[in-house]
Amino acid sequence: MEQMWFTAASWIGLALVASLISIRTGVSVALVEIFLGVIGGNFLGFQPNEWINVLAAFGSMMLTFLAGAEIDPDSLRKHLKPSLVIGGVSFLFPFLGAMAFSYWVTDWDLRASQISGIALSTTSVAVVYAVMVETRLNETDLGKLILAACFVTDLGTVLALGILFARYDRWMIVFVVVTGLALWLLPRFSRYMFTKYGGRVSEPEVKFIFLVLCFLGALAVTASSEAVLPAYLFGLVVAGVFVRDKVLLHRMRTITFTLLTPFFFIKAGALISIPALITGFNLILILLGVKMAAKIIGVWPLTRYYGMTLREGNYVTLLMATGLTFGSISALFGLTNNIINQAQYSVLVTTVIASAVVPTFIATTWFTPKRPFVEEPVVYGTMEHFLHHPEEA
Amino acid sequence: MFKKLLIAYDGSEGAQKALAAGISLARIHQAELWAVTVQERLPRYGGTIDEIDEEKKFLDERFEKIAAEVRDQAQAAGLEIKLLRPFGHPAQTIVEVAKEGNYDLILVGHSGVSGVWAAFLGTTAEKVSRHAPCSVLIVR
Repeated sequence: MEQMWFTAASWIGLALVASLISIRTGVSVALVEIFLGVIGGNFLGFQPNEWINVLAAFGSMMLTFLAGAEIDPDSLRKHLKPSLVIGGVSFLFPFLGAMAFSYWVTDWDLRASQISGIALSTTSVAVVYAVMVETRLNETDLGKLILAACFVTDLGTVLALGILFARYDRWMIVFVVVTGLALWLLPRFSRYMFTKYGGRVSEPEVKFIFLVLCFLGALAVTASSEAVLPAYLFGLVVAGVFVRDKVLLHRMRTITFTLLTPFFFIKAGALISIPALITGFNLILILLGVKMAAKIIGVWPLTRYYGMTLREGNYVTLLMATGLTFGSISALFGLTNNIINQAQYSVLVTTVIASAVVPTFIATTWFTPKRPFVEEPVVYGTMEHFLHHPEEA
Repeated sequence: MFKKLLIAYDGSEGAQKALAAGISLARIHQAELWAVTVQERLPRYGGTIDEIDEEKKFLDERFEKIAAEVRDQAQAAGLEIKLLRPFGHPAQTIVEVAKEGNYDLILVGHSGVSGVWAAFLGTTAEKVSRHAPCSVLIVR
């Protein structure tokens, strides 16, 4: 028992250090947690045990649920066709490219190559979103289209992860039928739950969400699929409800970021082997090149087709070549299910991390679309001033 | 002489002095008064949208506090002031804003919120004065 508390204290301590470093450096806490996890796993004896695995798995499920719930349904509907095309291509090209490269060039087996394709197919919505908020592109139609396309890419990743490794037996039928039914009913039922029981100290609405996630996750795993698939889909269908209930979303985030995701990201880092990184350094660079090349070949022509300028097209293409959370989740799924070994996992996760950093750096350094500094919609003055200049009031 | 003034305001003691000086100068010169509050960048390479949103919310709250300070000072002086809120590196962004807006004078506090880092890397005021396209008044 005492050992458990020491373990908990050391992991939470590492998460706290990650938060402080993140605040000081401006690098996301997720990335810092992975980095500290690498140090902890390779030098300080941080290795996941059973309860850490549970928290990490719950963390990955919550990450995907929240990612789905963040979508703006109106924006997706408005930009449905271009976002489906750009997002679909943004998933498919790197998925096929990285899978083919891993299978034919590096001689990974088919299932390991599929994990490679999935892990490198992703687009980090968070990376894209941060850059867009800073440049205020998220307020424009172009920005909304790009964000919607990123969600479509992630949907492709989650679907591939859930479909490719599933076992197609009666449990799959049960999973599909129950999930389909649940997704159909859940928006209405969630709205009812949140309205009727929301805001109470016993948090029934949060428990309801956890219940749905765990139950659908259990069905998915029983069908040899992946728990993040129903989590993402559940997030997508209740996104409209969350748009109106920001307080609940905030509570979910607090729980997730405090207790769950640190365990996921530190574990993801702790399982990276530094010797494997040294051996596979060239492969990491090549896989990063494959991912970026595939994204450029697929996405860049579409940006031009949909009327973006050259600079905007370059910018959007590079941002869509980023990845982090879903790539890490996919690689960890492969390792947990013995589809890839630790060396392959180390190479894949490091490539995913590199894909968060390198394309963002290039995009923000050389291709940020020029936008004028926007005045805040506030003009401060005295009553006397406004009486003399009523047109400004 | 000065028709368009830009005050770099980060809420620090130095910035408050720069704001006071800017208001005085704007009255004397009948100048247009602008303030810029450069926001810290959102977390790089974020893991989730939520992380970005939470940080954005934190920055928004801090900005509101700063904006209220600027508003109160301007109201007390009976002046109109316009506020810009770009993200980025403080010195670099102030210089970019000044270039784009054709300002005549930038007012900046001698010491800002950079604290001990400034002792090693130089203050924002020093950097702005080196690269600005117009006159710079460093207020002590």
